[in-house]
This record gives sequence, structure tokens and C-alpha cells, in this order.
Amino acid sequence: MLQGTRKTWVALALLAAVFGGVRAADTELDMDLMQTIEDTNKSLASNIATQNGPGSTSDAKELQALFGKVEAHFVAKGDAPDAVELSRKSRELSEAIVKSVGAKDFGAASDSATTLSRTCRTCHTFYKKS
Amino acid sequence: MSNDQRRTFLRQAGLGLGGAALGGFIPGIGHVSAATAAELVDPLAPKAPQFAARIKSVIWLHQNGAPSTLDLYDHKPDLQRLAGQPVPASFLKGIKTSTQGGVGRLYVSKERTWKQHGDSGAWFSNLLPHLATQADKLTFIKSSTTVGATHDISILKPNTGDLNPGRPSLGAWINYALGSANPDLPSYVVLYNGDREPSAGSVNWSAGFLPAVYQGTAFRPGDSPILYLERPELRNAVQQRTSLDLLKRLNLIGAEQYPHDTELKARLQSYELADRMQSAAPAAVDISKESAATKELYGLNDKTSQSYGEVLLRARRLVERGVRFVQVVSGFPEGVDIDRQSWDAHSELDANHAVMARMVDKPIAGLLHDLKERGLLDSTLVVWTSEFGRTSWGESGTGRDHNPWGYTQWLAGGGLKAGFTYGETDEVGLQVADKDKAVDTYDLHATVLHLMGLDHLKTTFIHNGRSERPTVVYGKVIKEILA
Repeated sequence: MLQGTRKTWVALALLAAVFGGVRAADTELDMDLMQTIEDTNKSLASNIATQNGPGSTSDAKELQALFGKVEAHFVAKGDAPDAVELSRKSRELSEAIVKSVGAKDFGAASDSATTLSRTCRTCHTFYKKS
Repeated sequence: MSNDQRRTFLRQAGLGLGGAALGGFIPGIGHVSAATAAELVDPLAPKAPQFAARIKSVIWLHQNGAPSTLDLYDHKPDLQRLAGQPVPASFLKGIKTSTQGGVGRLYVSKERTWKQHGDSGAWFSNLLPHLATQADKLTFIKSSTTVGATHDISILKPNTGDLNPGRPSLGAWINYALGSANPDLPSYVVLYNGDREPSAGSVNWSAGFLPAVYQGTAFRPGDSPILYLERPELRNAVQQRTSLDLLKRLNLIGAEQYPHDTELKARLQSYELADRMQSAAPAAVDISKESAATKELYGLNDKTSQSYGEVLLRARRLVERGVRFVQVVSGFPEGVDIDRQSWDAHSELDANHAVMARMVDKPIAGLLHDLKERGLLDSTLVVWTSEFGRTSWGESGTGRDHNPWGYTQWLAGGGLKAGFTYGETDEVGLQVADKDKAVDTYDLHATVLHLMGLDHLKTTFIHNGRSERPTVVYGKVIKEILA
């Protein structure tokens, strides 16, 4: 997906979530949201590797917002403390990437991004669905 | 836009793309200016590692069909104690058991016995008496994990890092990043024993989106490993050279018109390589002059281990000649009458593993001993791997199902803590005990690349506008096992 198109899509999705309200906690996490996270994460890895500062920052901020939604979902769900912890950790790692990229420390950003991907895998080991 | 304008545009754009592609040729965040002239002319020209390498070559021993490491290395007294009982629910937490056999009762073979070996005290079952003598050379990873439960899909992951075809294999990445250390031989060779090609085939040694020249070259088992390698009797060397020169000139005209056609470049490279290989390759794979003692060391005197032993002997000879990556896929011995011709023991595990273990045990032990004696073990990495392990519960009463949640792999060679074990599975050998110590295929790849002097985060290639790396978006070097 082109970056501009994806950003538009993500913005619309976030708006819909904010104004429509996150649906009740007993619904499943939107799989499109998870797919967007995966795509954005791949884009982030590429942008960090090519030391694309603006692209990396944009992707990391997007992920920060998206993981905030995931965290809110699992907090509301109430029976998945591991998922709450892992999504919070992912959000914090996204934030750390923004800071590292801002300091032009792409090595640290790359390490955080790899840990972030690993955290995603850990979470999916336990939660195939919400 | 007229046809002429479009052609001009495409030609010019092609030159631009060609430049971009060349940028992609360079490991790391490649820029054309960083490439040597030799790299641009010859994509297989040797390239320096990114930092000091600990090893020069890898022998990648894929155990096809997925052996039960619970019956080879992972000694579990609690599994023996609980055998015959349903799997306690606590052990199943967090895993989705969609494998075809369902969840049966915990299973232990009555024929299995265990013993510790070497100064390291590593456990080996009675299936691997010869490999047990090499215990102190091995670095076990007993917290291996992967994804999936079907062979043809999961087999891609340890080889290419993905469950879908299309990504470059680990050997291709190494070939791309380091080039060839011997211009007369392919620097990435695939070997297998048995009468059929490995399951899922060449996609497991593919170059994926890398230029095709970096893919693996498969050598067939038997006396003639490379098809049509010998020159026909009616043709002399001068005639062959003349026709190859003409072919090269014609292909170069095509290559000028299509500078980003990596298939054509690979073909050009392969014609020249084939010409040089006519003299170099027969010597590299000819084991007839190996001593009787060496042949026995590799198990060539036993019909069950003979074909695999021949393959490993060839692997050693290729490594001696500078081949960077030798991918060995286990097949099946000739003349053995058994249903499942791989490690895939869904039933009759005892009979299956007795044959398969006997096929590989002495040859692998011989390889490790031989590499050490020749001073090659310090510069070579031997990796024992499989697509997944097998379950703690039984299937069909006498077998085990697929287990991607926790199994054992091992490495041996340069840069490693020998006689060392990293990670463990739970008390029944089903899942990785400590998830922070889980070693996925990406982590193994990152570690192998590290030993080759390559940072997996900086070994990159631009594909479809995106920077790709061998470990996709994952990978962590397992520093705890490094010496």
C-alpha cells in the first residue's frame, strides 16, 4: 500500500474509533488494525535501515497510536493482563524509537524495532484472536 | 506517449533502476559509490565482512521430516513418569493444538534409554551413540521455537525466514553479502541423499528477490552429482571455449539492453562457472581417493549410513575448497523398507527413528571429528536443524505429532561455547520453558550471520522500494552461546 494511502486509511480508522467509540470490550480486535500494525512495522524496519528520519518517525508515531488502541482493548477486556503488558511495552518501544530517530541514533532505533517485533510475536503466541 | 517515446522512457528508467539495483547489490545501506569495480562486473566477487568473522563456512544439516528431539537430546524424567496420562492442562496453556492428530496421552518409547556424555554431561539417547562421543563439541539450543505445523510450509522458515515462498534463503543472503571464495565452484551448494529431491524443493535454496546468481546449486547424490558436467566426447576443449565465447558475446548484447535482468546475468555467470567447474567440481566431489579410515569414519561401510556419509564427506571437501554455505537435506537410505522416508514419525517412531538416526549418527559424528582433525572446525559452523520438533504426546499409539513450540537444535564450530546448552523446554518437553529464551529461526539466522561477520540489521537489499533483511523484522543474536 502506498504510504500516503495507508496514512489516510489509518487516520480514518483512528477517527472512526474515536468518534464511533471503541466497540464493546467483548468484540474481537479488528484484524485490519492488526494488519496495519504489521505493514507499518515492516515499513518502519525499512525506514530505519535506510536512515529515513521522517519516514521512521511517522511510522513509529503511527504504531504508538495503534498500540494505544490495542492496549485499551485489552484493558477493557479485563482478562488478559499479559496482552495489556505487552501492548503497553510495544507502545513504549514505539515512543523510544521516535526519540532515538530524533537523536539520529538509528542503531538504537533498530534495536528497539527488533524488540518491538519480538514483543508482537510473544503476544501472538498467546493470543491468536482477542 | 508514442511507442518510441515510451521505449526511450523505459530504457532511461531502466538505467535508473539498474543503478538502484546495483545499490541493492551492496550489503548494508548500499550506495553505488561504495561498490568496487569487481563487484559491479562480477556479483560473486569476494566481499569483506562487516566485522571480523569467526567462521568461513557453514554446513547446514536439515533433518527433513522433523525428528523427535525428545527421543534424541531432550531428556525429560517427568515425561517418563507421566507417560500414558493425559497432558496436564497447565502444559497446554497458550498453544493452539490444530495438528492433525489432536492431543493424545503423554508418550515414551519403551526402547529409549538415556546417558550423559563428555565433560559437559550432555544427554543423548541410545539412538545416537556416535554423536554422543562428540558431546563436548556441541552447543545445544533447547529452547527452539517456530511457526506452523505443516512440513512444506514450515520447512521454508528455517531456510528462508518466511512461511511463504519468495524470500531469499540464508545461504543466498550469505552468498550475496560475501561473494565467492572460490571462483571455480558455486559458493552455495545444496546436497541431499536418497532417490528424490528434498520436499518443497528448490524454493528452499532460492535467491528470492535477490539477484538469481546468489541461489544455491543442487548437487545430485551418486557418482554424477552435476548433470551434463562432462564435455561430450565429440567436442574438444577449444570448440567448447569458442562456442561459449560466442554465446557470452551474444548474451552480453542482451544484458546491455536489459541491465536489470538478473536471470540473464545469472545465466551468463553459470555458463562460465560450468566451464570452470568441469575441472574443479569432479575433484571436489570425488571421494574415491579418500582413505578407507575416512570412509569408515563417515559410515560408508554401513548400508544405512552410506549415502548420507558420502554427502557429508562431500560437504567437508567443499568447505575445504572455500564453499561458503553447504545445505545438506537428509533423505533416506537405499534398500530400507519402511513407509515414511523421512524423520516424520506419526506412527512407528521406534522403527522410523532407528533407521533415520542410524543414517545420520555416524556420518555427523565423523564429520565433526574430521573437521576438528583437519583444523577446519574453528572456521566452520555445523548447524543441526529441522522444520520443527515432535510432541510430548503420542499419535497413533506409537508416534508423535508436529511440535513448533519447543524443540532442540545444535551448532558446533568456530566462535561458540562448546559443550554448552542454552534454554530448555518445560518438564514434559512440549513448550519453551522461559519465553525470554525462546530461539526462533530468525534468531538462529542472526547468529549464523554474526559468526560470518555480518550484522543481520545491516545486511540489506532494496526490493520494491523497501529495505529487506534476512531476518525480516525480527532476529536477535544469541550472545549467550558465543565464545
